[in-house]
Amino acid sequence: MHRGPVSGRAQDRRHHLGGVRVPRGSTLIVSLVAVAVVAGACGSSTPSAAKKKATKTETSTSTTATTAPSTAGAATSTTTATTATTAVPAAHTAPTSPPASSTACSTTGGALSATCDTQSPSFKLSGAGANSIQPFFTRVFYYYSQADKAVSVNYSPAGSSVGVTDIQQNTVNFGDSEIPIPTPASGTGGNILQVPVDLGGVALSYNLPGVSGGLKLDGPTLAGIFLGTIKTWNDSAIAALNPGVNLPSTAIVPVHRADSSGPGYDLDQYLIDTGGSAWTGSAAGTTPSTKWPLPKVGVGEQLNTGVAGFIQQTPGAIGYVEYAYSLQAGFTNAALKNSAGSYVKPSQTSIAAAGAASSGLSASNFNIVNGAGAGTYPLANFSWTLIYQKQSNTTLGVVLGKLFDWVTTTGQQQAAALGYSPLPANVAALAHSTLLTLENSAGKPLFS
Amino acid sequence: MSPTLLEEIPPPRLTPIGGVREALQRRWARPGGRAYAVLRWSGATIFAAIVLGLVVSLLATASQAFGHSGVSFLWSGTYNATKDIYPTGIFIVGTLITTAVAIIVAVPIGVGTAAFLSELAPKWLSSPLSVLIDLIAAVPSIVVGLWGLLVLSPVFAHHVEPFFKAVPLLEWFFHGPAYGPSMVLAGTVLAVMILPTIVALSRSALTSVAREDREAARALGATRWQVVRTAVVPGARTGIEAAVILAMGRALGETIAVAMVIGNNYSLPHSLLSPGATLGSAIINNFGEANPGLDRSSVVGLVVVLLGITVLVNVGGQLLLRSRLRTQRAAP
Repeated sequence: MHRGPVSGRAQDRRHHLGGVRVPRGSTLIVSLVAVAVVAGACGSSTPSAAKKKATKTETSTSTTATTAPSTAGAATSTTTATTATTAVPAAHTAPTSPPASSTACSTTGGALSATCDTQSPSFKLSGAGANSIQPFFTRVFYYYSQADKAVSVNYSPAGSSVGVTDIQQNTVNFGDSEIPIPTPASGTGGNILQVPVDLGGVALSYNLPGVSGGLKLDGPTLAGIFLGTIKTWNDSAIAALNPGVNLPSTAIVPVHRADSSGPGYDLDQYLIDTGGSAWTGSAAGTTPSTKWPLPKVGVGEQLNTGVAGFIQQTPGAIGYVEYAYSLQAGFTNAALKNSAGSYVKPSQTSIAAAGAASSGLSASNFNIVNGAGAGTYPLANFSWTLIYQKQSNTTLGVVLGKLFDWVTTTGQQQAAALGYSPLPANVAALAHSTLLTLENSAGKPLFS
Repeated sequence: MSPTLLEEIPPPRLTPIGGVREALQRRWARPGGRAYAVLRWSGATIFAAIVLGLVVSLLATASQAFGHSGVSFLWSGTYNATKDIYPTGIFIVGTLITTAVAIIVAVPIGVGTAAFLSELAPKWLSSPLSVLIDLIAAVPSIVVGLWGLLVLSPVFAHHVEPFFKAVPLLEWFFHGPAYGPSMVLAGTVLAVMILPTIVALSRSALTSVAREDREAARALGATRWQVVRTAVVPGARTGIEAAVILAMGRALGETIAVAMVIGNNYSLPHSLLSPGATLGSAIINNFGEANPGLDRSSVVGLVVVLLGITVLVNVGGQLLLRSRLRTQRAAP
C-alpha cells in the first residue's frame, strides 16, 4: 500500500521502499544503532580477555582428539556433496601445554621460551599457500586462537606457488608449500626458513561402481592411464594386477589438477621413478613439475575440491587428491606398489611409515616419494611453512614462532582426525631447531 | 530611460561568436571555469594514460615470448624441444567455439525475452522479471562457475549431452564421450552470464522503436506477434547488434567460470562434447605457477592475444554499427 507524500515538495517525494515512509529522525537513530553494533563487535576481541584465560591443567586430550570422526566440523571450503556421514565434531577441550600468551613465559612441553612481553595488541596473521594443507591449518589455527585470543590467523589456500610468491614478496606473514623453495631460499626480507609442519599423502581416488577400494595399481599401469594408452578399466594391464576382481568395461577418465599442485608433483615424481620409459619419454620428461605435464589427456579441474567433485560425479574417473579430502568424501582409493614391492593403500599408518622412514630430511632433501619400507605408502609428502628468518617486528616474530612451535608439537594431535599423520619425532625436532634460528632485525635470536 | 521598444533590445545571441578557441576562452573566463576545464581534461588524460600504460606494460612483458617464438606464437605458442606449452592456437579455437555457442544460445533467448518483456508482458510480470534477470548479472563469475560445475555438469553429463548425441543431424557436432565439462557446457554457462546484458540492451532498443512503426503495422492488419516480428525487432536491429557485440566482449574475456567447466584439456576439440581450453582459462590456470622469464612472458603473451581479439571484436562491431547507422540516416 502506498502512502502519498506528506507535502507536495519535490524533495519529499522520495522513493518509498515498499510504500512505507521512513521519517527522517529514525534514519539517524538506525544508523547510530548500526554503528554501535559494529563498534561493539570489533571491540569484543580485546587483549584483556586473553589475559583473563587461566592456564589450563594438563589433561590427556589426545584420546578425545583421535576419537573424533574423520569428517571434521572445521570449516573446510569443500563444496562437494559428500556422502560420508558428517558427525558433530568432538567438544573442544583445551589442548595440552597451552600456547604461551604474551605475558606468560611457559617452557613446558618444548614450547619456545622468550623474553616476556608486556601488553601486546591482538595479532592478525595472514598466510597463503598450499591447498592440500587447508583442512589441517583451519583446524589448528581455530584451536590456537581459542586458547590465545590475541592471535587470529587467516590462511588463503590458493596454491603452493601463490604462497611462495607471496612470501618472497613479503606480502604475507607466512607461506606454505608442498615443495620447498630451492635452497638457499630468500626473498625481499632476507633468508626464508622452511619448517615442516604436516605429513600428508596423495590418494589415487577412483569412482567405479561395483569395485571396492584397494584396486592394485603400479607405476607403469598408472602411467598408461594418465598417458591415455590404457583406455578402459578392464584393460589387460589392470586385470593382470587384480586377478579375481570383476572389472567393468567403463572408459577411464583421468582427471588432473588444472592449476599447479603439490600432489601433482608427487605423482609426477612417482611415475618418473616407477613408470618407465613410457612416462619419462613423454612430455613429462625426467624432472617432476608442479604443473601437470600432460594436459592433453583427460580433464583438468581446479584445486582438490574440483578434482574431488569431478570424481564423485563421473563413473570411471580416476584422479589424485590429498588424502584428507578423499577421506572426507569417502572415496575408494587405489593401492599403489611401493619400492618394497607391496601394494599399500593410503592410511594414517602407511603415511606415517613413509614419514618415519625419512632420514636426513631437510629443505634441500625433502623427497619421500617411493621411500623404503614394507608398509610405506609411496605417495607421501611433508608440507613446508615458509617464514622469514629475520623478523623486523620482534613481537610478531615471537608470535609466529610460538604459533608454529605449537602447530608442530601439540597441534599434531589434530592431524590424525583429519587424515594427516602426526610428524615423526625427528621431523618435529627439525621444526623446533629451525624455529630457534628466528632472529630480530638486529640479528639477535628471538628464542633461547 | 531604458529602452522599451523591442527593436532597441538586442536579440539574444543563439550562436557563439567565433570557434572552439573563442568558446574555450569564454569558458576559461567564467568563474570556476578554469578548475572545471582542468578537471575535465585531466580526467580524460589520466584515463587514456592508464589504458595506454596497461597495454604498453603488457607488451613489454610479453616481448620476450614473442621474440622467442615470433609470429608462430599465435598458433603454437611457446614451444620448446620437450614440451609444447601454451598452445595458443588451441586456446584461440576454444575461445571462439565457446563464444559462438554462448551467442547461439543466448541471443534467441535474450532477444525473445526482451521482446516479451517490452511488448507482450503485462506490467505486473515485466518489472519483477526484469529485476530477476538483472540479478543474474550481479552474481559473481566464480559462483556461476561453481554452480555450473556442481549442478549443471552432472545434468549435462547424464541428460543433455546424451540427448544431443542421439539426434541424428547433429552428429558432426556432438560425438565422443560425454564427461560433463565440455565446450557446450562452457558455452551454456557463458550464455547464462551474458543473458542479462542482451536482455537489458535489447529491451531498451525495442522500446525505442517509434510508435508510428508499430501503429502502421497494426493498421495494416498485423497481429500482435506479427507487429513484433515485422516492425519492432527489425527496427531495433542496430541496438540488438550493439547488445550482442557487448555480450560477445564479455564472453570472450571470461576466465574463472569457464575454467571450472571447460575441462582444461589442451588438445584440439573434435566435438562440442570434448573438453578443451580457452585463453581465459589457460591464463588463470597458469599464471600463478609461471616462473619469471619465458614462462611468465608466455602467459602475458596469451593475455595480449586475448586483448587483441577483444579489441578486434569491439572495434569491428563499432565500425559495423556506425556504417549501419549511416545507412539508416541516409535512408529517407
